[in-house]
Amino acid sequence: MNSTDKPILEVRDLKVEFDTYGGTVQAVRGVHFALAKGKTLAIVGESGCGKSVTVQSLMGLIPSPPGRITSGSVRLNGREILGLSPKEANQVRGKQIGMIFQDPMTSLNPTMTLGRQITETIRVHDGVSDAEARKRAIELLEQVQIPEARTRVDQYPFQFSGGMRQRVMIAMSIACNPEILIADEPTTALDVTIQAQILDLLKTIQRDRRMSMILITHDLGVVARMADDVAVMYAGQIVEYGGVQQIFHRSAHPYTVGLRSAMPQNDEAQSKMLKPIEGSPPDLFDPPKGCAYFDRCPHAMKVCAARNPPLWDVQEDHLSRCWIHHKFATSSTEVFRSNRMGQEWEIQK
Amino acid sequence: MLKYILTRLLSGILTVYFIATVTFAAMHLVPGDPITGNKATSPEIRANLERKYGLDRPVLVQYGIYLKNMVNGDFGISFTQQNRSVNDIIRSHFPISATLGIASILFATFGGIFFGALTGISRKKIYDRSIMFGVILAISVPSFVFAAVSQFFMTELNQKAGTTLLPVGGWGGLSHMILPAIVLGLGTLAFLTRLMRSSLLEVVNQDYIRTARAKGLSPTRIFFSHQLRNAVLPVITVLGPAIAAITTGGFVVESVFAIPGLGRYFVQAVQQLDYTVIMGLTVFYGAFLVFMVITVDIAYGLIDPRIKVSARSA
Repeated sequence: MNSTDKPILEVRDLKVEFDTYGGTVQAVRGVHFALAKGKTLAIVGESGCGKSVTVQSLMGLIPSPPGRITSGSVRLNGREILGLSPKEANQVRGKQIGMIFQDPMTSLNPTMTLGRQITETIRVHDGVSDAEARKRAIELLEQVQIPEARTRVDQYPFQFSGGMRQRVMIAMSIACNPEILIADEPTTALDVTIQAQILDLLKTIQRDRRMSMILITHDLGVVARMADDVAVMYAGQIVEYGGVQQIFHRSAHPYTVGLRSAMPQNDEAQSKMLKPIEGSPPDLFDPPKGCAYFDRCPHAMKVCAARNPPLWDVQEDHLSRCWIHHKFATSSTEVFRSNRMGQEWEIQK
Repeated sequence: MLKYILTRLLSGILTVYFIATVTFAAMHLVPGDPITGNKATSPEIRANLERKYGLDRPVLVQYGIYLKNMVNGDFGISFTQQNRSVNDIIRSHFPISATLGIASILFATFGGIFFGALTGISRKKIYDRSIMFGVILAISVPSFVFAAVSQFFMTELNQKAGTTLLPVGGWGGLSHMILPAIVLGLGTLAFLTRLMRSSLLEVVNQDYIRTARAKGLSPTRIFFSHQLRNAVLPVITVLGPAIAAITTGGFVVESVFAIPGLGRYFVQAVQQLDYTVIMGLTVFYGAFLVFMVITVDIAYGLIDPRIKVSARSA
């Protein structure tokens, strides 16, 4: 975690549970991270690891019941935003933190013009006149590169393609100049060429407005392209946290290494058979006592089954939740180290 | 939009034509005729009457005359009510039925949306349970039972109060309308409540509601500008059939409350096999319903922008 800058958003020990008919699911089990001003933090992980639940609980969007934030603290510019009154929370949402979602086809109200959907946010937060809000909505649409914004502003979502709708979502989320933009898998539902455009657009807007961004994705390619810092999540916990270079080139946690070998490469020389991570994530109704990755980890040791490892400082601002960083870990660590060295060598070549 | 309305009107006219033809055929297939009544008629009188009403001519010719007159807006003369024309019956009694119908449609629609929304958004189970219990009751119990029961209780109330709070029969001012309109609209109200409830529960979990929350809108605002409009759409689609249900239900309620509406004449006419009145009223009601359904569809287009444009491009 960047100790040099004062973080704009600090999340500590966040725990979220859901009551279901099958029992209580511990979806997020103690997540810490910090977001620096103007930086992008990517949260990566497979489906069901708690990425979306984490950010939705920051926004107070967890449906409750069945959801419950059982502990933790979220500080925005030093101010606690968990447990705000609904009214105060509404002043944070949309104004200080903007959010865009995965599926632009269903995330816009089908029976309201896009203009109204954008001006609604502006009017609620900034209290400007209808005409002024409309003017700003048109400007926003131009900023997200929607052609003929002046006519498009009065159209309905069904008259837009998926990529265009995601642009509108972006325009809506930045309408009140939020300090933080949360993008929850913003390109997952789009086809590849559109993905690139949307990512570029997000990057431009972020740079121009010096916004901080939390980007949730399961696509390591997107991470490499967008992120400054990366948090790798597994079974409701962050297992590795570090700068994008560290995560990609000096992966410390076996899960991150596994994710990387499962990622397709563009370069033909490096393209080999993709190696999937065997097995499936643990049952979060009853999370394991030890390391959640134990069953799938090629380097598992006895201690891993017994106790959950803490986050170790592997390097400055690079943390990893794995027992192999313990000084007593020997045999399997050797294998892992050589494994890592090999990858580093490949990348340097 | 104009093209859409024209197409709908054209198909509506076709529907009315079919209704007219089927009614005509049915009338002539049913055994007996209006002249065979309580009183014994001599063959001479019978022949005279048949000539007067054109019943002595071939069926196809009668059909032709019937269609021609109908196009001119003339439904003929009643067989059983002396020299009274069907048009006259409609003119003097339809406004009463229509007023009652409109009152109960309004009651059912707004009531249904209100109660449906209440059960849909209320976190308290008790509201939901009690309203849903009422809904099942209102759907299962036929309107004539409600009519009689409401009359009974209203009479009791009037006696207790020592004055007529609400009249339990007849037709006059607004006060006469309240009880029958409620009884008539109750079933439809219950049906719409259920529809609105399930529709709202579906809308509440939509992604765009989450978006609205992420924008920092207040729950009230989200409810009125995002949930309600989308949830009301399915309710509007069934308004056409609901109007039909209320109109036909009106026959029974009108006779229980002794309201001089069109329904009573319809029932009477069927009992007496009064050809012209049956055919006239059937066609009139058919045309009315077709018109209402088209109106509802156009209204739907106004509320849901997606319908309007697809109709324009069609």
